[in-house]
Amino acid sequence: MRRTPLAWLNLVHEKTRLLVAIAGVAFAVILVFMNLGFLGSLAKTASQIYSQINAEVFLLSPQSLEISTTKSFPIQRLYQAGGIAGVERVMPLYVGYLQWRNPETRRNRSIFVYGINPDDPVFLLPELDTPENQAALRRFDTALIDRLSRPEFGPQTIGSTTEADRRRITIGGQYSLGGGFTADGTLIMSDQNFRRFFAPFPLNRINLGLVKLQPGVDPNQIAAALRQTLPNDVIVLTRSELIARERTYWISTTSTGFIFGMGVGVSCIVGVVIVYQILYTDISDHMKQYATLKAMGYRSGFLFWTVIQEAVILAVLGYIPGFAISLGLYELTLRATSGSLPIGMEFGRAVQVLLLTIGMCSLSALISVRKVVVADPAEVF
Amino acid sequence: MSQSITISNSVPEVNSQVEPCVVQIRHLDYYFGEGELRKQVLFDINLDLPKGQIVIMTGPSGSGKTTLLTLIGALRTVQEGSLQVLGQEIVGLSKPELVEVRRNIGFIFQAHNLFESLTAAQNVEMAIELLEDWGNKRQKAIEMLGQLGLADRVHYKPTALSGGQKQRVAIARALVNQPALILADEPTAALDKKSGREVVTLMQRLAKEHGRTILMVTHDNRILDVADRIITLVDGRLETDENLDQFVTTRDPQTLDRRMFMM
Repeated sequence: MRRTPLAWLNLVHEKTRLLVAIAGVAFAVILVFMNLGFLGSLAKTASQIYSQINAEVFLLSPQSLEISTTKSFPIQRLYQAGGIAGVERVMPLYVGYLQWRNPETRRNRSIFVYGINPDDPVFLLPELDTPENQAALRRFDTALIDRLSRPEFGPQTIGSTTEADRRRITIGGQYSLGGGFTADGTLIMSDQNFRRFFAPFPLNRINLGLVKLQPGVDPNQIAAALRQTLPNDVIVLTRSELIARERTYWISTTSTGFIFGMGVGVSCIVGVVIVYQILYTDISDHMKQYATLKAMGYRSGFLFWTVIQEAVILAVLGYIPGFAISLGLYELTLRATSGSLPIGMEFGRAVQVLLLTIGMCSLSALISVRKVVVADPAEVF
Repeated sequence: MSQSITISNSVPEVNSQVEPCVVQIRHLDYYFGEGELRKQVLFDINLDLPKGQIVIMTGPSGSGKTTLLTLIGALRTVQEGSLQVLGQEIVGLSKPELVEVRRNIGFIFQAHNLFESLTAAQNVEMAIELLEDWGNKRQKAIEMLGQLGLADRVHYKPTALSGGQKQRVAIARALVNQPALILADEPTAALDKKSGREVVTLMQRLAKEHGRTILMVTHDNRILDVADRIITLVDGRLETDENLDQFVTTRDPQTLDRRMFMM
């Protein structure tokens, strides 16, 4: 026979209180998961676009913050990079925001535009290579639209026309990329069209230089070589370095990371308070019994562990529904943003939040347990 | 009654070589509070409780009965004098050492203090688990509850038991580890006459069968007859220490009753 599971039986005895406690912990768990989910999707968004770009090394201005806040630099740097052994191809990328008019509501909305040379395989999107899309890219005042753009941009029917920055534009085709946090919708157009829409915009100043390497060449080596060759009006980053840089920008430099971090903190405080209330009430209700146990010869340590056990049980019982509901909410968010906000459960985060929940409940236990530890059995009778 | 009857405030003969006393108190003083507010509640208590004796301690409210009981029960730190419980001097013991002493004492309180979340058997097992006796704890608990007439209530939770039954479970919990000393504070106060009588009769029987010593604080004069000896505490001093017959004859029934109501 084992020890009587006092902590468990005490919790289960008060069914309503147990349910309230579980709901409270689950609530905190959901809040934490949502905040971490948004934070994680932010980091994922930063990497998402670069994993769709067909290059291993990137050139950008030191003043560029992230892909939608870039400073242009001379295209000569890109041509210089093209001369390095091991480089297969260099491609310029132009980016910027246009005011896209929804043809139905006639409302303008900012859309993010990628300008590329139609002959360059800039994106790893096979659907861009279809003859229709290639032809559309080469037509004047025509662009391809992202299917994952928000519905507020209006219909995406191929061949329909609308206005962008007071200029007629025709939708020539579609692709799926997703704009993440930076954009509600995206367009891809040729560099010639880009120059027209963003006039005056000289094509000899580019926003991002893409360096595609020959197969089997180490990107770190080429990046090092480029850093030596190029003047310091550009910085050279490998794909993973660039992703890390953008992630740091979003999480540390903008208030976004702080906001979600704050969200996690506040959720934890809510959880601590709820669990503290429950444990404190439970201890108060059982004060005489706990004092009797002390009189019988149980040490304070036993009662301490009983309360800690109750806290851990509450943590685990609250975590399970919290986890399940969070999965549902992630799915909901994914659908609401038509997949452009890549929010999803990660194993590491699941474990991290479980530990956080247990820590949170244990903290509540530590605050509430003093009452029972210092209880003097002689005073209770 | 062949036991030595000691008159308060006179030091009794040391008769420990004949039969060891379960409790031996010498010149015990006790104070509440500190500094200016320090107030003496027990004055020069001398008391021997021999093995197998059932002693009832009575006296007016605030006379220090419960304080003395909790001192003997190692629930408080003794300040002055000497207090030996089960052969061990507890003056100057640290808190963990006091806990060890308590494990050999059975406590019964006015309230049953049972866990509502545990069945009768589980409540009793909480006491057995102190001895880390895991193997047959359930069997022991059931046996003990059976002796108290609760064989058919073993798996009931306290809410499903009557007041008397709950107090009997509490007694089972106090007795299951076979303590040599049982301390009871108003065990019948919350019970009606019949249940109260039942409870003390059971305590008396179990004590006599196994030679246990019982010290019981009570105001309930309906149960005085189970006592071998009755001591009275007034204003922190042992006033009288008599056997049952003396106690009854020195007080005519009316004064006895009046005294009881005062308390």
